[in-house]
Amino acid sequence: MSKSYNITLEINRYDPDTQLSWIQTYQIEVGGILRFVDVLRKINDEQDPTLAWASSCEHAQCGSCGIIVNGKPLLACELLVKDAIEQFDTYIFRLRPLTIAPVLRDLVVDLEKAYDKVHEALPYIIKPAPLPPEGDEYRISQERLETYIEATQCINCFCCATACISSHRNFLGPNVTMANIVRLMDPRETAKKERMDILYREDGVYRCHTSRACSFVCPKEIDVSHFLALGKGGKF
Amino acid sequence: MGEKLTIDSTLKCDVLVIGAGGAGLRAAAQISEQRPETKIIALTKVVSPQKSHTTTAQGGMAAVDPKDPEDRPIFHMFDTWKGSDCSADQNVIKKVCETGWEEVVWLERHGMHFSRTEEGRIAKRPFGGHMLNFGEKKSFRACYEATRTGKGIMDTVWDECLKYGVDFIGQCIATELLFEGNRCIGAIIFRYPEGKFLVILAKATIVATGGKTRMYQVSTNCRGNTGDGLVLALNAGLPVMDLEAVQFHPTGIIGPGILASEALRGEGGILRNKDEEPFMERYAPSAKDLAPRDLISRSIITEIREGRGIFNEDHNAQHVWLDLRHLPKEVHEKKIQEIESFFRRFVGVNPEKELCPVTPTAHYQMGGIPTNEFGEVQIDTQTIVPGLFACGEAAAASLHGLNRLGTNSLLELITIGKVTGERVIEYLKDAKDPETLPSNAGHIIFDQFSTYLNSQGNEKYAQIRDTLRNFMMEKVGIFRTEKFLLEAIESLKALKERAMHIPIGTKSLKTNQDLWQIWELNNLITVSMVIAQGALARKESRGAHFREDYPERSNEFNYHTLISMPEFNKVAFGKRPIDMSLFEAKGEHFELFDYIERKY
Repeated sequence: MSKSYNITLEINRYDPDTQLSWIQTYQIEVGGILRFVDVLRKINDEQDPTLAWASSCEHAQCGSCGIIVNGKPLLACELLVKDAIEQFDTYIFRLRPLTIAPVLRDLVVDLEKAYDKVHEALPYIIKPAPLPPEGDEYRISQERLETYIEATQCINCFCCATACISSHRNFLGPNVTMANIVRLMDPRETAKKERMDILYREDGVYRCHTSRACSFVCPKEIDVSHFLALGKGGKF
Repeated sequence: MGEKLTIDSTLKCDVLVIGAGGAGLRAAAQISEQRPETKIIALTKVVSPQKSHTTTAQGGMAAVDPKDPEDRPIFHMFDTWKGSDCSADQNVIKKVCETGWEEVVWLERHGMHFSRTEEGRIAKRPFGGHMLNFGEKKSFRACYEATRTGKGIMDTVWDECLKYGVDFIGQCIATELLFEGNRCIGAIIFRYPEGKFLVILAKATIVATGGKTRMYQVSTNCRGNTGDGLVLALNAGLPVMDLEAVQFHPTGIIGPGILASEALRGEGGILRNKDEEPFMERYAPSAKDLAPRDLISRSIITEIREGRGIFNEDHNAQHVWLDLRHLPKEVHEKKIQEIESFFRRFVGVNPEKELCPVTPTAHYQMGGIPTNEFGEVQIDTQTIVPGLFACGEAAAASLHGLNRLGTNSLLELITIGKVTGERVIEYLKDAKDPETLPSNAGHIIFDQFSTYLNSQGNEKYAQIRDTLRNFMMEKVGIFRTEKFLLEAIESLKALKERAMHIPIGTKSLKTNQDLWQIWELNNLITVSMVIAQGALARKESRGAHFREDYPERSNEFNYHTLISMPEFNKVAFGKRPIDMSLFEAKGEHFELFDYIERKY
């Protein structure tokens, strides 16, 4: 049985009707193996049902519960209380919404707006290579797949885009740029020119300042900056 | 407060897809490819289809590769029939098993990143219940993308819909189906961010809202899997089918409920009780920890009931241990490293040194909105609802009957999703634009929301939710008895009443989490009532449905349960015969498609 802890959460609140924002402090006694989504739910259950936050799968596979804890963007569903105490060396946690989209209420941001940029990367195969024989699949060697499979794990949680020093305004963002690079590396895609145009457009890959923040914060542990570096070189 | 609720605006389209997960978007992709001019609107509760529950599926998608010299679709059909405990529909089994490979190839050609063999072909692996030669030995039939096959599928169908310009509306719920006579003409939806109601008029509507096991204390399902689509159908007076069939996975990680796959036991993991006794030896002396899912689940619950479970205070739940400590280092590091990491990540346990807390977790519901093999929603075997279609976990065609084999659900999403799309295209040929909006459209949801928003009283949302989730787990879960079920039905009536008296914290309609959750809670209570009623009526044990007071399967119940409930607890029962067309065709091996014994 894990220990329980008395922790303090200082949470950004925002009311869309009055457009007022404030910081609200909650003190709560919680078990060490509760995750931050469980803690937020506990606050709803025991103290304040009006505190809004977002999640869906709570298995780190959908990327709906991204928030900023003590300055670090992460998934609330996989941050355990005891780990947070150890990692940040404190019992006081400052929770803010991600910065890549407008806040709807409290910790909930309008990720639908953030997704507009993902759509701009045209994540599908634009122009497929000539079809293999009827009923047959394309052949992709394990070695070839290995060069880009890591990048396909991206769940678009926007933690990288939040940490990115190039900001979300004039850069498509690390995750979106990487989605385009995946298809540049995919042997089934032939629309190379169109993809290179996306890669090198005004808000394209050269807006990246190579801080590698994306790689450090990625909850799926994807080395995002590696793929952006390939994009900068234009060689895959 | 006291804001008057109204319809903000009306949108029109050819096809409305309610629920943009794997099945809904496979249908939409089919329509787009075959009829690119179709205007499709796809709704999702989450922010993007990419965040659907489909994305969490791990293991694979079963399909028989025609190039496989050993495997044949008929083996897959047999496994599915046997796995269903003789309650799936054979016309659906045949269609799905015969077209599975085409769909794998479709996904691959549209960009899914399947794991590969050394020759660069799609790799396959064995999975529980999938065998060669009618149960003789393991088949390699599950095509996969590492441990995230669902995500691969989801991304692919979503990509395809993006390519064809399907309009997505995220962060919304459908609150009411609209009808013109008996024809479905769309739905009323409610948008979370702005708190506005919209009418969407459509020539055809597809309900694909997915799973519904959030009424159980431990569940692998997403937070939003609250049976919304079933409630849409029930409120429209339509029946739902086989809801009593809820599949539990024996080893969910306590708390988040995430699956700790069979692979851990396959590599030698042992289940232990609080005295660290390897208790499966008592229940299944030969198969032990590799006995079928339902048997292991019942054994774990028996241990817990008899006081040999362990109580976890943090998550307020009972569990047993999965012991992996004795496994060789290379197994930890190479073979089970990814699944094992879930324990480290979600409960802070190091499986190499510590015991891992696991408990049965509600995983999948076989039942749903009844459809024929084309995804057309049925009132009974003779009558379909024009303009209304359903597919995926929200629907029951039924491929799984009362029990589903692993990797058959992803297969179903894609195969039935596709045929549903094809049927919609047929339907659109003669379908006229909906003419009139029913005059009372929206009144039910306006009343419902007004009641929630103005509710007085001292009930608490969390208490009602937890009470529901506890007794559903205890009384309508893995073990069921008449006494338990009657108690549960009484409790549900009381909870339904109590849920009307939750004073709401947030009064505005914009991003109102309170309101949204109370609406979901009501849906859970409604669906739970149908599960309990179905379980009470089915006085036998079959597949995932286990009655302690009727522990054997009985031929008397060789049918699907239909239940309609236009008003809460006003239940009307019906029956749908099980399709036995493979048996009746008297073809090769037809005798295996009779009511055979389910023995492994």
